[in-house]
Amino acid sequence: MKVLVAVKRVIDYNVKVRVKADNSDVDLTNVKMAMNPFCEIAVEEAVRLKEKGIASEIVVVSIGPKVAQEQIRTALALGADRGILIETEEKLEPLTVAKLLKGVVEKEQPQIVLMGKQTIDSDNNQTGQMLGALTGMPQGTFASEVAVDGDKVNVTREIDGGLRTVALNLPAIVTTDLRLNEPRYASLPNIMKAKRKPLDTTTPADLGVEVKSTLSLVKVTPPAERSAGIKVDSVATLVDKLKNDAKVL
Amino acid sequence: MIQTSGNSMTTLTQDALVEQLSAIVGADKVRTDADSLETFGKDWTKIYPPKPSAIVFPKTTQQVADIVKFANAQNVALVPSGGRTGLSAGAVAANGEVVVAFDYMNQISDFNATDRTVKCGAGVITEQLQTFAEEHDLFYPVDFASAGSSQIGGNISTNAGGIKVIRWGMTRDWVAGMTVVTGEGEILELNKDLMKNNTGYDMRQLFIGGEGTLGFVTEATMRLTRTPKNLTVLVLGIPELDDVMKVLSQFQSTMDLTAFEFFSDKAMQKVLARGDVPAPFETSTDFYALIEFEAVTDADMDQAMVQFEKCMEEGWVVDGVISQSETQAANLWRLREDISETISEWTPYKNDISVVVSKVPPFLRDIDEIVTREYPDFEIIWFGHIGDGNLHLNILKPDDLAKEEFFERCGKVSTWVFEIVEKYQGSVSAEHGVGMTKKPYLEYTRSAAEIAYMRAVKKVFDPNNIMNPGKLIDA
Ligand SMILES: Cc1cc2nc3c(=O)[nH]c(=O)nc-3n(C[C@H](O)[C@H](O)[C@H](O)COP(=O)(O)OP(=O)(O)OC[C@H]3O[C@@H](n4cnc5c(N)ncnc54)[C@H](O)[C@@H]3O)c2cc1C
Ligand SMILES: Cc1cc2nc3c(=O)[nH]c(=O)nc-3n(C[C@H](O)[C@H](O)[C@H](O)COP(=O)(O)OP(=O)(O)OC[C@H]3O[C@@H](n4cnc5c(N)ncnc54)[C@H](O)[C@@H]3O)c2cc1C
Repeated sequence: MKVLVAVKRVIDYNVKVRVKADNSDVDLTNVKMAMNPFCEIAVEEAVRLKEKGIASEIVVVSIGPKVAQEQIRTALALGADRGILIETEEKLEPLTVAKLLKGVVEKEQPQIVLMGKQTIDSDNNQTGQMLGALTGMPQGTFASEVAVDGDKVNVTREIDGGLRTVALNLPAIVTTDLRLNEPRYASLPNIMKAKRKPLDTTTPADLGVEVKSTLSLVKVTPPAERSAGIKVDSVATLVDKLKNDAKVL
Repeated sequence: MIQTSGNSMTTLTQDALVEQLSAIVGADKVRTDADSLETFGKDWTKIYPPKPSAIVFPKTTQQVADIVKFANAQNVALVPSGGRTGLSAGAVAANGEVVVAFDYMNQISDFNATDRTVKCGAGVITEQLQTFAEEHDLFYPVDFASAGSSQIGGNISTNAGGIKVIRWGMTRDWVAGMTVVTGEGEILELNKDLMKNNTGYDMRQLFIGGEGTLGFVTEATMRLTRTPKNLTVLVLGIPELDDVMKVLSQFQSTMDLTAFEFFSDKAMQKVLARGDVPAPFETSTDFYALIEFEAVTDADMDQAMVQFEKCMEEGWVVDGVISQSETQAANLWRLREDISETISEWTPYKNDISVVVSKVPPFLRDIDEIVTREYPDFEIIWFGHIGDGNLHLNILKPDDLAKEEFFERCGKVSTWVFEIVEKYQGSVSAEHGVGMTKKPYLEYTRSAAEIAYMRAVKKVFDPNNIMNPGKLIDA
């Protein structure tokens, strides 16, 4: 079966994000970019499906600027077979991304679409669901376990206070949660092999989708700085502070 | 064996001592409670039972000078104490000394973007300086696993090295100027932060790595540098120890590396067993090298690939992974950086030795042979800053062996190891200093004449042997 994986290029998880001086946006100059961690998990899951003999081909798609090829190459090094870049410099919103992915789904006809439950840059947690609505495919979101069973996939979902397993008819959409798997490192021999794997570039226009933002970003502010801790000289003062200042006792 | 020679020859009573110190720093900056004496009387070595008579916390250089003058007048031995992460028992007070702790001298000031310098009190934590630099879009490159606790004063006094020496050098290279209080209580301002200053003896260099035996560092102007771009980490699997250095010179033939570390599979397995760092490979090899470099352009990355392919062709390397994000880079670094802490559970006997890079392979072979021959029952963990010729030899204590017996048997290893060090003209302490643990072995690296000059220098700056007595050399 064919598996389609969507990956996004985002600010590196480990980078201390700074806000531009005029509060217009996050400062991205000279900032390390990487694959969204939830997308890494999606790639890993696809590769495991292939290693188990369930998936026969993994197609990885990214939407973004030309440099997003780097993240596609990473996915190819991790085990994906072929890449598609939908090149655009525009700011992307979940609905646009879902429409673009729908275009790819129609062309590629995958049995499973694997994607992150959210990206760590805009934290929307909407794209998978919107893609489900647009394509009419069933969705298993927040997956912590994915088990393909004939023409069904059983997806264990992380929900408040527990787990819930849903059986979806294929083709289906699965969005990944943190505990689904632990992604591997890209091995150097595989990175070299990945250079020879096909990577096609297309555009939103080719897919008949207009990329237009319907939101305007008003202001970005960093979280309030935490005030420094204090030292207390006795247990009694500590108890007093916890009671009267922190009001936690 | 516990042998120290710090003195507490003072005739002052404990009360008088505390009173007079309080007169200098204020009563709230002198501590004699059991907890403080225990904590501030020892460093990371934990071999010598701490027994200081008081801990004093000066806030200014003048107070430090007053403490030293008082100590001279009353014949009180002083032990300077930084972050106490030292690995040679340099900051240990086991003989009733007064510990001078720099924790309150932790101000960062006078940042100058043009000179790319910043002034640090001796008590500034290494990581505090790193963070400060980062906030000003600059970089303080001296880094190691204990940077979250060690202090600039301690780093200077041990000339700390760490994981980036291959590219940025040791602490010595980053001290633009410093204020010290000599053993006579004299305050010296050294080098005025100048880049060029050929006006005779550079006395900074005596205090850097001086382990507090000549004077105390109270302030230092530290240099900062450009922030490296896109540091990328490779971990390579290397079956043969001998090939590690071939890999190094292959990569260095076209690239400037920012780190070249190595560790054995035994070392890595201990870290992986903790379960919080992902394994880099499915199958293991006996040794690994961790290489870090700046991947600024695609050409840099291509170079790394070319060198990797070459190492594969030669059969030196059988597998390799590369970081695709800072998170992955940090996780790969943890394979190396977490070793020290992880193995501390086995009360390891540690040696920190170095030779010139070209001599590393035969040197390693000689040592490995002798240790495995004499101690087949001991587990040996190798890792180190091998790109600098610096190796950490760690022998783990078998569970069924008592601590005393273990260290006694290891004492014999030391002699053999140091004889090999001497044969290869290496150092018995590459970056951890001499303190008390390496003092008996100094002669394997320094000639008798050199040691005699060191004593003479000590006499000049500290005639009454007040400053950290019994460390590094005997006065
Ligand atoms: C997990 C771990 C990893 C480490 N890795 C490395 C490494 O990679 N490279 C490396 O070089 N070291 C390493 N070390 C050793 C240690 O961190 C360094 O030697 C460090 O520089 C010690 O700094 P400190 O402030 O803790 O000094 P302390 O241990 O407090 O003191 C060190 C010496 O300096 C003297 N001293 C302290 N402050 C002053 C002062 N203001 N004036 C004069 N003398 C003073 C002390 O008396 C003592 O002799 C490591 C230690 C640990 C625990
Ligand atoms: C045109 C010109 C341009 C120059 N430009 C520079 C410059 O850009 N930068 C710079 O730093 N200098 C410069 N200099 C100064 C000079 O060249 C340097 O100081 C150089 O290092 C001196 O080397 P020398 O062998 O000529 O030493 P000498 O002049 O012979 O001696 C210099 C000092 O070293 C002592 N000395 C000599 N040999 C030894 C030894 N083996 N052991 C112990 N002590 C010894 C001498 O007693 C003397 O004190 C320049 C000089 C000239 C004439």
